[in-house]
Amino acid sequence: MEVMMKSKKLLWTIAVTAIVLFTVLHVFRKGEAETPPSPVHRVSLIDSTKCIAPAAFMRANHMQVLYEWRNSSVRTGNRVYIASNGSKFEKSLNTCLGCHSNNKLFCFNCHNYANVKPKCWNCHLSPMETP
Amino acid sequence: MIEKALKGNRSYWIWIAFLITVIGIGLSAYSQQRWFGLTVTGMGRDISWGLYIAQFTFLVGVAASAVMVVLPYYLHNRKEFAKTVIIGEFMAVSATMMSMLFIMADMGRPDRLLNIMLYPSPHAMVFWDLLVLSGYLFMNLVSSWAMLGAERKGVLPPAWVKPLVYISIPWAFSVHTVTAFLYAGMPGRHLWLTAVLAPRFLASAFAAGTALLILVSLILKQTTGFDTGKDAREKLAVLATYAGVANLFLLGTEFFTAFYSNVPAHKESLQYLFFGLEGKSQFVPLMWFSLLSGVASIIVLLVPALRKSTKWLVVACSALVLSIWIDKGVGLILGGFIPSPLQEIVEYTPTATEIFITLGIWGIGILLLTILLKVVVAVKMENEQ
Amino acid sequence: MSSVSDGNTMMNEQRREFIKKTALGVLVGLGAASGLVPAFSLEKTILPVWDEKPVPGKIRWGMLIDTRKCKDGCRQCVAACHHAHNVPDFKNKKDEVKWIWKSSYQNVFPTASQQFVSPEIQDRSYLALCNHCADSPCTKACPTEATFKRWDGIVSMDYHRCIGCRFCMAACPYGSRSFNWQDPRTAIHDPVTTYPTREQGVVEKCNFCSDRLVKGLQPACTEACPEHALTFGDLNDSRSDIRRLLETNETMQRKPELGTKPSVFYII
Repeated sequence: MEVMMKSKKLLWTIAVTAIVLFTVLHVFRKGEAETPPSPVHRVSLIDSTKCIAPAAFMRANHMQVLYEWRNSSVRTGNRVYIASNGSKFEKSLNTCLGCHSNNKLFCFNCHNYANVKPKCWNCHLSPMETP
Repeated sequence: MIEKALKGNRSYWIWIAFLITVIGIGLSAYSQQRWFGLTVTGMGRDISWGLYIAQFTFLVGVAASAVMVVLPYYLHNRKEFAKTVIIGEFMAVSATMMSMLFIMADMGRPDRLLNIMLYPSPHAMVFWDLLVLSGYLFMNLVSSWAMLGAERKGVLPPAWVKPLVYISIPWAFSVHTVTAFLYAGMPGRHLWLTAVLAPRFLASAFAAGTALLILVSLILKQTTGFDTGKDAREKLAVLATYAGVANLFLLGTEFFTAFYSNVPAHKESLQYLFFGLEGKSQFVPLMWFSLLSGVASIIVLLVPALRKSTKWLVVACSALVLSIWIDKGVGLILGGFIPSPLQEIVEYTPTATEIFITLGIWGIGILLLTILLKVVVAVKMENEQ
Repeated sequence: MSSVSDGNTMMNEQRREFIKKTALGVLVGLGAASGLVPAFSLEKTILPVWDEKPVPGKIRWGMLIDTRKCKDGCRQCVAACHHAHNVPDFKNKKDEVKWIWKSSYQNVFPTASQQFVSPEIQDRSYLALCNHCADSPCTKACPTEATFKRWDGIVSMDYHRCIGCRFCMAACPYGSRSFNWQDPRTAIHDPVTTYPTREQGVVEKCNFCSDRLVKGLQPACTEACPEHALTFGDLNDSRSDIRRLLETNETMQRKPELGTKPSVFYII
């Protein structure tokens, strides 16, 4: 019983020390001078009224738009999107990149800031790769 | 009850440490595969399935074989199987888990595994296979654990356990039939395109699985002193023998149809495997070893004096398991791809990475089985006192 | 002893109740929030449906290959296809990815008679590619419908959904499919920016140039062939070129006995 109590105490001491050490070393580590992430750059000189939807809507919902477009184009064959103002667009990444082509960091600006890593660019050619 | 697996003697912990080492090496090899892709295996454009799917096929059979002991005990009250049933059921749990892990190891995009459930495709046999395997794993684990717990507390098991066990009996048959249907419906793979594939799967499963169960119960007796009973082993040996004879018979019918009809599509895969085709004969020695050891093990098992001798029983069961493992794995899966749909013969050899991943998954399954059986033995021996 | 265990049971009961209530409360809270606060709402984006949704079965794309015109040593169709679609070249047979290729008579038509075949026919090359079968075994085998039959007869690949199980490869009686055993981007020599690449871990194959058809172009192989050996068209249109040629020539298909109903025909 005594031995068990002693070894229990020892285990707890080791565990707590480990956690404290880990926290200290990880949180207060020296390393690359970490500047706080910068807010989104605004490079676009694009007329965003010509976009498929208002910028605020796109920022909030572009993932769902792309998902719907993908299923529609690839699986259903419905390749034409009618915006709320009546103009027609092809449901393709090229539609986005067609307008936003001047900005090589079009998607990456926000995604790097938000630390989101979608896998689109494993297959599709990103704004950085398209001429 | 799981805490019973945390108490053991030196040999027990050495065994656990060994298994964990094997698993660790397997995990490291798997990380290589995830990074570089399945190119690290021996598979290629013409042999697109290899060691992993071979293990999967064999292990689903072992899982289904639990029915050989569940059926007589629960439906026909054969009391001699009382101590063996739970071992068989836990073997099924371990084997099902391994089968599913082998599928995951073989997938190009395991991160997309849930797509099978998100986009159900009833026309695809894989969809049904995932359902039946998951169900089988669940029902065996839950019902066995509940029964064991009840036995430990000295009470009757809860009412829902019996129906679950009864369902698991036809479910076991369906598990291996669906797996056979994975192969038996492929129009381009003539070694598999036979109605006899599902019966052959069941026969070989019941032979190999039952033989494995005999071996596991003997190992348990040796290492823990827990004896499931000579009577039970005897009966299991008889069942394995009948299943083994059925398996050999069905193999014989395959040979007859292939070579008597002389149709190239039917013949060529068997020709390649057993006699070599166009000068390529990589698997011929292995296939003959499998056939001869299978026949020899059945002959031994047919002789009552030999069957009752533990030494001969071990040899025969091991040979039977090995024979069927080769036949179902190497023979069936690789043979199905040779010759290719364009009549080319491309040969396959597993790579080291592939072998380590395979061993790692076997390690996981055997570790799971060890833990479960440790609990079983602890509970049962406690109750015997 | 019994009062302590009773006390413990009471504590356990109280704990259970607490956890149940908290969990329920969290669920209710989330539910309310999703209704009230727009940022939390989980409704789908509503996109208008365009009346251009294609009618399934109206068109059935097919290809006719006049093997008499196929010149020895010429690989323009293969080069054009592989270039246009960023098909990787791994330079080893094991990892090979190919959408279209030339092969011999015994390889492409193994179930046709091989007895006393004329030397001229034996020496010719025959194109092998996905047959885009009307009754394709690969689409039946796919557990996620990542490969599926399109409205226009093309057996399509949805690379976003493929789990890399390679069932379709086992099911295909023609060996038309390739798997990306490693990252293809390391092996694309002359990439184009007009078509994406694929990733490691998915299956790919000929897509009858659905990407070009959408722009009103002929498939890359058909356009590239210097001898105009390939004819591509709508098999359902009785007045199309391909139908005309099928009616006036004796044609052959790969493994017709399997019931797959291929859409690719060969003039021998």
